[in-house]
Amino acid sequence: MTPSRRAGALGLALVLPPLLLLVFLIVLPALTAVFDTLAPLEGGPPGLTLARYAQVLGARIIRADITFTILVTLASVAVVFCVSYPLALYLRFVQGRLPAVLAVLFTIPLFIPVVIASFAMITFLVNHGMLSTILYRLGVQRFPPLVYNATGIVITQVWANLPFAILILGAGLQAIDDALIDSARDVGAGPVRTFLAIILPLNAIPTMITLTLLFITILGSFTIPYLVGGNAPQMLGVTMTNYLTQYFRRTDAVTMAVIAFMIAAAVGAVYVASVSRRERVAL
Amino acid sequence: MSAAPWYWAVGGMRRALGLGAFLAIAAFILGPLFTLLVWAFAGSWLFPNLLPEFSLKWWSYVLSNADVGKAIRISFISAPVATLLSALICIPAAYAFARLEFPARRALLLSFLSANAFPKIGLYVSIATLFYRLNLMDTFTGVVLIQMVNTLLFMIWIPTGTFRGINRNLEEAARDVGAGPLRTFFHITLPIALPGLIIAALFAFLAAFDEAQGTLIVGTPNHITMPVMMYTLVLSYPQPVGAVFSVLLSLPSLVFLIVAQRYLRAGYLAAGYTL
Repeated sequence: MTPSRRAGALGLALVLPPLLLLVFLIVLPALTAVFDTLAPLEGGPPGLTLARYAQVLGARIIRADITFTILVTLASVAVVFCVSYPLALYLRFVQGRLPAVLAVLFTIPLFIPVVIASFAMITFLVNHGMLSTILYRLGVQRFPPLVYNATGIVITQVWANLPFAILILGAGLQAIDDALIDSARDVGAGPVRTFLAIILPLNAIPTMITLTLLFITILGSFTIPYLVGGNAPQMLGVTMTNYLTQYFRRTDAVTMAVIAFMIAAAVGAVYVASVSRRERVAL
Repeated sequence: MSAAPWYWAVGGMRRALGLGAFLAIAAFILGPLFTLLVWAFAGSWLFPNLLPEFSLKWWSYVLSNADVGKAIRISFISAPVATLLSALICIPAAYAFARLEFPARRALLLSFLSANAFPKIGLYVSIATLFYRLNLMDTFTGVVLIQMVNTLLFMIWIPTGTFRGINRNLEEAARDVGAGPLRTFFHITLPIALPGLIIAALFAFLAAFDEAQGTLIVGTPNHITMPVMMYTLVLSYPQPVGAVFSVLLSLPSLVFLIVAQRYLRAGYLAAGYTL
């Protein structure tokens, strides 16, 4: 065996244990789920069948949940993005005490378990909670309910996902050379033009990664909609968990899981493409 | 052309992100946590009082609860076990990813991102159906495995980046004066890599410790960890009970922040989440 082949064999041997675990915990369950939901029905005709999907998607409640899930997810991604991009720009390009404090402040939700974040948000936003007390003192007595509905889910998702979005966008902005920005200014580009022509395109890959990861994370969330959301319609994560653990309808639950995979797969393809392009540069 | 950097000209943005916006963001991030903290020391808190009647009675209620004790025990056994196991299998793999040439290296490294490509709850439901068949539901092994879904990514990617960042010349110098590969690893590479490995382990521990939705599905009813217990406390107990328990549950994160202060740079944070 040549030394390089020995190194190759050693490398594969070292990588094998976590890889097997990854297959067992992610690849195998996903494949099992897809196969289980397509397998021929008991006593039915042989061959793969879409009957389970037809049954799940035939239920009006579940269709409403799917629509609700996609809408809430899109709304949350949009709000997180619109809040985090200006903040990332601010932290990248402005020096001083406020940005320094903000840089510490915005990472706090990273270290708070989502269960606690959801509960904290309830105590803050609930009717007769902290916010309504302050508003009451200020003379505002009527405002729309902020928890146990879609609004509550979106607000809490923003709280929980803000650090992650700012970190990725910020890392991308950090990589942009100041010289490029200065030279754009030198040839007469205004701030808006500099942003649109230099910063936005150079930060395109981190932006894609942020958007897709946010979408998949929020689509697959359970804790926030479960605690902060209302009863119906509810996000798919809560519905499938209820079907699995409360109603004991495992097959329906797995069918919903695969439907969620399908929705994510379209978005996930973009993510993998973006990351692998970046990783190629790093290697 | 003025010497001022371009962004000074973005007057609108600077003004918009002035003190007012800063305070709004601070209130948004800290407000809920502050409210929760006050609730933890509230005897009763009636609307529209700005502050409650303070009391510690809910602390003794929570701390004397047998279920709480059991949850603390399960959490503090399962999360360290999950972290240790993943460190054991992932750190050698990370070294291989950083230093050795082997077929499909890049594809295999990327495959560890695949957990991020799935909506988590769908993945947990799928894992549960597999665990039903393998009789892993409601077992300690099942709980540790579900926590490892989240630790693998941290323990592979951060250490790979750490090992990659170590100057090869140092290792080669050690080899030149006669140290074997193992000796070089343990005396040169490992000590230099230690801060990065510690950060990875802390991230992995928090990911395992804070995991709630997967453990709820796999561990119910006999393997309830602290975050899973929160669901019950939030939904069916008076507010202060959940608040007290939240403070207990945040302690590991707090300790983490203090311990990691030395090593914690934005770079590591970004590494943990972007890569």
